[in-house]
Amino acid sequence: MTDTHSSRLGREARVAWAIAAKDMRTYYTRPPSLMFGILFPFSLFLSFSIGRNVPLATQIPILIAQTLFFASSSIGPVVIPIERANQTFDRFLTSPVSLLSVLMGKTLAGVVFGVGISLVPILVGLAFFGSQIINVGALVACMMLSSLGFSAMGIMFASIPGQSPGQVLMPLNFVRIPLLFISGVYTPVGELPSWGQVGSMLSPLTHTIELARYALGGEAFFGPAVNIIILTVYMVVFLFVGIRFHIMNQRKE
Amino acid sequence: MSAEYAIEALNLTKKYGDLVAVDHVNFQVKKGEIFGFLGPNGAGKTTTIRMLTGISIPTEGTATIMGYDIRRQPIEAKEQMGIVPDISNIYNELSARDNLVFTGKLYDMPKSFRESRAEELLKMFGLYERRNERVQGFSRGMKRRICIAMALMSRSSIIFLDEPTSGLDVQSVLIIRDLIRKLNQEGLTIFLTTHNIEEASQMCDRVAIINRGKIVAVDTPERLKRTVESLQSVEVAFEAMPPDALKGLREIPNVSEVVKEGDKFRLFTHVPSSVLASVWSYAQKNGLTLITVNTLGPSLEDVFVKLTGIRPATEGDDGERMGRRGQGRRRQ
Repeated sequence: MTDTHSSRLGREARVAWAIAAKDMRTYYTRPPSLMFGILFPFSLFLSFSIGRNVPLATQIPILIAQTLFFASSSIGPVVIPIERANQTFDRFLTSPVSLLSVLMGKTLAGVVFGVGISLVPILVGLAFFGSQIINVGALVACMMLSSLGFSAMGIMFASIPGQSPGQVLMPLNFVRIPLLFISGVYTPVGELPSWGQVGSMLSPLTHTIELARYALGGEAFFGPAVNIIILTVYMVVFLFVGIRFHIMNQRKE
Repeated sequence: MSAEYAIEALNLTKKYGDLVAVDHVNFQVKKGEIFGFLGPNGAGKTTTIRMLTGISIPTEGTATIMGYDIRRQPIEAKEQMGIVPDISNIYNELSARDNLVFTGKLYDMPKSFRESRAEELLKMFGLYERRNERVQGFSRGMKRRICIAMALMSRSSIIFLDEPTSGLDVQSVLIIRDLIRKLNQEGLTIFLTTHNIEEASQMCDRVAIINRGKIVAVDTPERLKRTVESLQSVEVAFEAMPPDALKGLREIPNVSEVVKEGDKFRLFTHVPSSVLASVWSYAQKNGLTLITVNTLGPSLEDVFVKLTGIRPATEGDDGERMGRRGQGRRRQ
């Protein structure tokens, strides 16, 4: 029984990885992935930073968080509607693999994209702006939990039954962009009014920024333990809700 | 797991709100047979195939695939089948070979096995020379062949083919029909959905006809034809197309319906012998020269029309639809 179970798990993991690897190869260079995953966070960051009298090194955690946020959450909303339109998503549904593994594969593709893109500001910060990684564990936790959570958020939004990435990315941006204003990107959390701080605590992006800042030797308003707990909760909730939504879609099919 | 039937639909039902798309459908597909699934547009064919293959979850009822319940044992059931949907859902960004290898990965086939199987199928489908090219630039027929090859990757025992020859050139159609027969001879069970009734008549051991979500007939094509033996007809062609021929021919006694099929007329009747004599008189009276006279038995299409209630076009309608009705009829 255990052998059957472990072989089933191994099989599901191999298939999930195969799906992720195929998505990386096929969709990373698609215009919507490049635009919303790379161009968008870097442009937002530059438009916010240029001309402000703030040392760029202190802004590196914000750029790390923004790239993790936008890049990880963009892959699902690009891949799934395209695959729905081409009916290639049906291929997964007719394959001997669970829907959970299919969605884990899609999530993994977002994780790798988000982590890969966020390495750019980390390396740039280390090489040119004197940034230092003070707490490697916090940085790893920040990147892994955030990329998983944001990628799962993208998968959850991709359950919106559209056949073009725009139909999913538009409602997603209605959530992503307002989050920038309450997550300590433009105004530090400590300077927000008390209701703003409550809103900030509920935003997953706040905790990504705080963990990244903490890892690079800065202060975390809520503390790294709270950051990790809240990011973990969001990751689990997004994964669970995303899977439920996709199962509901299958029932409606 | 041994099972009596390759596929068994048990009260399979799909509802979309108040609309019942598939209504408590029951049928069995025997192992090793080519089973045709026919029905007009919107009858529930694709919805049924989507439930059988796990894309859609039934509202009620279930189905078994080689004995595995598609709802309770979906993984085991899906291991038994390969699917060719109505649209060639292949990855245009990948090469022909990579499409096959990726399918092998979805079935968790070992690397050496999936690579050798991919090579074998590429050769079988005449795609080996172009195996490393992106399929984006391939013709529709070639994409269809890749799609079928993908369905065969896992050596499953059942293959679902949804409109496999629709919209293809004649050469591709012949290649695919030959292949279906060959696969069936090798023991594969084939579930074939098609709009082409002649194709179903030629290829299928048995057919099911679905209309408005309900199965209205399941039998062999020949036995189904015998159920509408009354639909006999006389086919005539004149050297010159007479004016008002439809009106004149319809006035012949014992003729229930006249259909124009290209340069010919088909006169439906219970008594072909009497109509033959009347047609001869009609030709003489109007100074016409008969160049073709045939008596015809009912075709599977006639059965389809009778069971689904879809009426053929007659006077004032276009010739294409009228012409199709006559395909596959038996000459007597």
